[in-house]
Parts: sequence; C-alpha cells; structure tokens
Amino acid sequence: MPGTMFQIGRSGAAAARASLDVTSQNIANAANPDYARRTLNARELVGVSATSAGVLNGVRIEGIARFDSAIVQQQARSSASELARADAELSALRDTELALEQSSLFEGLVEFEAVLTQLEGSPLEPALRTAAVESARQLTSTFQFANTTLGTASGQVQDSASIAVDEVNVQVEELARINQGLANARDGTAGQAALLDARDAALRNLSEQIGVEATFDKRGAVNVRVLDSSGSPGPLLVDGMATNALTSATAADGTLSFDVAGSAVSPSSGALAGQAAALEAQADYQTQLDDIAAQVIARSNAAQAGGVDIDGNAGQPLFSGTDAADIELALTSGSQLATAPAGSPAGSTNTSNLAALVASLGADDGPIAGTDSLLLGLSSRIAAQDVTRTGLAAIAESAEATLLAQTGVDLDAEAADLVRLQQAFEANSRVMQVATELFDTLLALR
Amino acid sequence: MTFVSNSTGAFYERSLSQMSDLRGSLEQLQTQIATGVRITRGSEDPAAASRLRTLARTDRLNAVQQDNADKLARDLSEAGDEVQGVVNLLSRARELAIRAANDTTGENGRAAIAEELAQLEEELFDRANADTLTGEPLFAGTAPGPAYIRNPDGSVSYNGNGEVPTVPVAPGTELERGLPGEQIFQFDLNGTQTSAFTVLSALSAALQPGVPDPAVAAQAAIDGLDAALESSTRSQTVLGTRLAWVEVIQDNQVDRSLTIAEQQSELGDTDLGEAIARLQQVQTALEASQLSFSRVSNLTLFDAI
Repeated sequence: MPGTMFQIGRSGAAAARASLDVTSQNIANAANPDYARRTLNARELVGVSATSAGVLNGVRIEGIARFDSAIVQQQARSSASELARADAELSALRDTELALEQSSLFEGLVEFEAVLTQLEGSPLEPALRTAAVESARQLTSTFQFANTTLGTASGQVQDSASIAVDEVNVQVEELARINQGLANARDGTAGQAALLDARDAALRNLSEQIGVEATFDKRGAVNVRVLDSSGSPGPLLVDGMATNALTSATAADGTLSFDVAGSAVSPSSGALAGQAAALEAQADYQTQLDDIAAQVIARSNAAQAGGVDIDGNAGQPLFSGTDAADIELALTSGSQLATAPAGSPAGSTNTSNLAALVASLGADDGPIAGTDSLLLGLSSRIAAQDVTRTGLAAIAESAEATLLAQTGVDLDAEAADLVRLQQAFEANSRVMQVATELFDTLLALR
Repeated sequence: MTFVSNSTGAFYERSLSQMSDLRGSLEQLQTQIATGVRITRGSEDPAAASRLRTLARTDRLNAVQQDNADKLARDLSEAGDEVQGVVNLLSRARELAIRAANDTTGENGRAAIAEELAQLEEELFDRANADTLTGEPLFAGTAPGPAYIRNPDGSVSYNGNGEVPTVPVAPGTELERGLPGEQIFQFDLNGTQTSAFTVLSALSAALQPGVPDPAVAAQAAIDGLDAALESSTRSQTVLGTRLAWVEVIQDNQVDRSLTIAEQQSELGDTDLGEAIARLQQVQTALEASQLSFSRVSNLTLFDAI
C-alpha cells in the first residue's frame, strides 16, 4: 500500500534526520571533556492486524542513549583521586624541602662550627671572637627563617585544604540538585543525558578533592560516601536529595581533622588526603627543627657554663630561647665567649672549653648531624613519593584513556556516520518518491 | 554499535602528555647543562645530596684548619727564630765567659765583658717575652703573659704556666702551638733548678770591678752556660720538628681539599658529555613525536567527505 510505504519512508527520513542531529551534537562536543557520546536508539514499528501477518509501520525513535560505563568511570575517578592525593602531598613536601634547603640551616651550623674552630687557632684575637658571635647571631636568624618558611609552607597547605573543603561542599550540593533533576527527567531525553554528564563531571571534581564511593539507583541518581582510610564505609555526603557538609578543624600543630555530620572521617584519597598527610609530615619536621634548635641552645650554653671568658669571668649563656622560633643571641660581645676552662686566669689562651663546644656541635648526635638527617629524611621521602606519583599518573592516564575510548567522541566514526546517515536520509526520501510514483501509477489507471 | 572507538579527545590527551614529558626532561637537561649543577634539590638524589653536604662541611672545616695551620707555622717559626737568637746570645756569652776566665784579661776588660753580659741578659729577657703576630706571648704556656717578669731585686721569674695551647689542624689532630718558657730557659744544673737569666746575671755580677776571683767565677759559669745552650738547642729541635710536622699537615690539607673538590664535582656536577648526548636524544624524540602528531592529527575523514 503506497500510504504505508510513504509512512515508512517518512519515519525513516525523520529517524535519519534525528540521528544526524545527534551526530552533529557529538561533533560539536568533541572537545568537551564532560561529554559522553550519544546515539539515537530506534526501533522497528510494527502494527498488529487481524487479517494479515502484520502491518509494517517503519521506524520509531526510542530516545537518546548515552555511552556510559559505571565501572570505567569508577576506575577513572579512583585513580584520579589517588593521583590528586599524591600530587597534593608531593607539592606540599616540595615546598617544605624548598623552605628548609633555602634557609641554609646546615650551612649556617657548619659556618658557626668553622668560625669556632678558627677561633681555637688564635683565641684572643678580637676579630675572630666578633666573627664567632656574629656567626651565632646569623645562626639564630637562620633558625627563625627556617621556622617562618616552614610555617608559611604549612599555612599554604592549610589554605589549599580549606579551599578543597569548600569545593567538596559545592560539588555535594550540585550532586543533590542533579539527583533531584534526574528524579524528574524522562528516560531517553537529551535533558536526562545532559544531567548524567553533569553528574559524572561533579563526581569527578569531587573525587579529585576527596576519595568517594558512589552508588547509583536505576534512574541514575547517586549516593556518595567518603572512602575512609580505615576501610569501613564512611559517612554519606550525598543521600538522595539530602546533603551532609564536610567540615575540617586545624589542630595547634597545624594538622587537619575532618568531620561529616558529626562523625569523624579520614579521607583515603583525593587532594584533601594528601594535604592532611603533608600537614602531619610538616608538623613532624617542625618538631625536628625545634629539637635541633634546642640542642644548639643547650650545648652552647652548657659549654659556656663550663668555662670562663676573656676577662676570667664565668661564661654566660650564648643563646636564649627554647626552640627555632624564639632562639636569640644572648651574648653582647665576642669577649664573653668562654673559650678557656673554668679556673683559668683572664686572657688565658687555653681553648679546651671551646674545643669541647666544637666537638659537641659536630658530634654524631649533635645538631649538624641532626640537620643532615632531617634534610636527608625529607628528600628521601620526596624521592620515594615521586616514584609513587609517576606510577599513579600512569594508572590514571590509562584509566582516563579507557574512559575516553568508551565515552569520548571519535571524529572519524562521526564522519563515517555523517556519510551513512546522509545516505539513509536520501534512501528514505527515495522510498517516499517511489511511494508517490506508485500512487500516481494507481491514479493513472483508466 | 560495538566497535573499539578511538576517541579524538584521548588521542590529543595522550599526545600532549607524551610531548610534555619529553619537554620536561629536555628542560631539566638544559638546566643541568646551563648551571653545571646536577642536583638542584636534595630530592633529586637524596643520598648524593647528603654526601655533598658532608663534603661541603669537610671543605669548610678544612679551609679553617688550613688557616690554623698557617698561623701555627708562623708562630712556630717565630718561636724558632727567637730561640735561635737565644742560642746565638748564649754562645756569645760563653765566648765572653771563656775570655773572662783567661788570666790575661785585665780588670777593665772584665768590666766591659760584664757590661756586655748585662746587655745580653736584657736581650734574653726581651726574647723570652716575645709575642706572636697576633699579640699572644710565645713562651708563657696558656697564661696571658708576659712570660717573664723582672722582680724589684733585678732577678727574673717565670710568670707563665706549663700548659701548652693546642690548635686543631686536621680532623682529630690538635698540634701544640709552642713550648712553655720554663722548658727553654730553665734547666737543671748539678741538681739545682736554675735559669739562663740567673747564670748570666750571676756571671755579670762576678765580673764587676772589685769582686774577688773573677776568673774562677767565669770558669764556673761556663758549665751553666753549656747547660743553658743545651736546653735552648733542644727546644730549637723540638720547634723545628713541630714545624716540619705542620708542613706535612699543610700538604695533606691541600691534598684533602683537592680530593673534596674532586668528589664534589663527581657527585654534584653535570657530566657534560652525557648530558649533551641525552639532550640530543630527547630532542630527536620530541621532534619525531611532534612530527608524527601533526601528521596523524591531519588524518581526518572530514577531508574526504
């Protein structure tokens, strides 16, 4: 029947046109990282008739399908989350390394030791005594500089962490809104596909800040839990349309703790996990730096107390303070350096007390060795983290590539589709033309 | 539609990351060549960085120890010069004593000898109180000095102590700076402690006009002068040996600083040959991947439609 044939041709042409639209949309979004490739689902339309085997009615557009793979998405998210953790920790540790290496603490301590050793050569020379005291003064400002830069590095990480917490809460709100949209969206619509794109993008952004576990219902709405480092299921951030905000608290030593709806949580991955780990490391390095400063103060003052200065008076403390922040020079002139042992007369050239100080500064358990081991520990940790990070980056890259292969737009495939659909459209027009000609033939019967 | 898609986004992403990796290592090599420094941050090679820190410390301390050794060598040769002067004046005093012991020397001759001996004693006192270039007494031990003081009765007594100051000149090596005056100018004469000052002034006093038996006193003084000479020449030998030791140590210090510089260069400097070869290699790889990127990205079906 020409009417049916015309109908079939028309539906085919319409389906081809709609598919061309989808292809154009794919091409237009080829550079959009959040976009998942769409296709048009079509289905044969068959009418039921009592008299014949069936009535053929052409094709029906079912709806827009979006390429999606929950597993691949999950892999890409978790590997990106791990990478973000390693990146955040590494960059914070590099800042710490820069702070401690730039402060030249090691060089300052060696210089102090060297000037004192030189003073042993001519203990009464005023220039050398002044140089020794000035070198001690330089050392105190080096300690304070190291302390300040370490504090600045730690402050920067805290700032980044608080921005990351805000970002988490923004994405959490966004996901709740998307969940609401998905509940109202009709299946197979372009709107639903766009919402799903937005959902995956929000989940990806969220995972970069904090590792999460996502569970989806059949409409695509998502519930999000924090992945806790203890392995037990963490608290819900997104529960349908309800949200729980992530909050952070900073302890006195600068370390961070997190909390969702009243329950403490320690993120296992994401930038926040890396920042928290870096802050703990920085607190540890701060303690070590303070210990070194305390050692310098204690050993120098003990040596001073065991000797007499150039005038034969009992030695006064060389430094005041207790840690890297408040270490200060306590002597006012080079003549106050107690180079000679207790009981020596004024002007004695006996340097055994000074030699004891030099030996205790350079001892294997002394501040110079301590600074070297602090720097060695830090740089070894960074070197090891760098190796881990390279591995994680490779994993994340391949997961991202797999995801793009699954959901990304392949321009060559779209070009082939363009040709194919154009031909389909032309073929369907031809069907309509043939139907018209058939109808004309019938009408022309005499 | 189930075919393996080759996502355009994935292609660009992959090419980009490969090329930026290459560019990153290119830049690192360039920095290494430009600065000549292989390790700019400790984390690039933690063990080598720690070794470099230790070497820098050894180098700094070695430089200071070289200064100390130079000063020590100056002090020792100065002390040696002074003791040499003492030996000369004691020899002269011995000559004078022999001449005074000769019966043919008249009273006037002895008076002149007494005068010269008194001056020699003055010179001895000055030499014993000599200072280093930095103003520390050479022969007072660790005491502030002066080494010898003249008492109101004209006699001379030691004001220093028996301790010898030491100077660190090498890791774990401390050398004694000199000799205390009591070891040079004081000695045992027939079971009695006496000093070169006492011997000289006693002889000078015995040769004054009017003192009986000057020839016998002069003869007796020769023993004392011999003992003083022996003590001085012994000290001269000690100082000379020490100076020789310092020179050996100075040679070692130069060797050590060369070794340190060598190790520092080995650990921390860019191996230019290797770095340039690797730069070339990476550059070739980068150029090749840029070329293949532009070729492949030109391959699009859209050109064929």
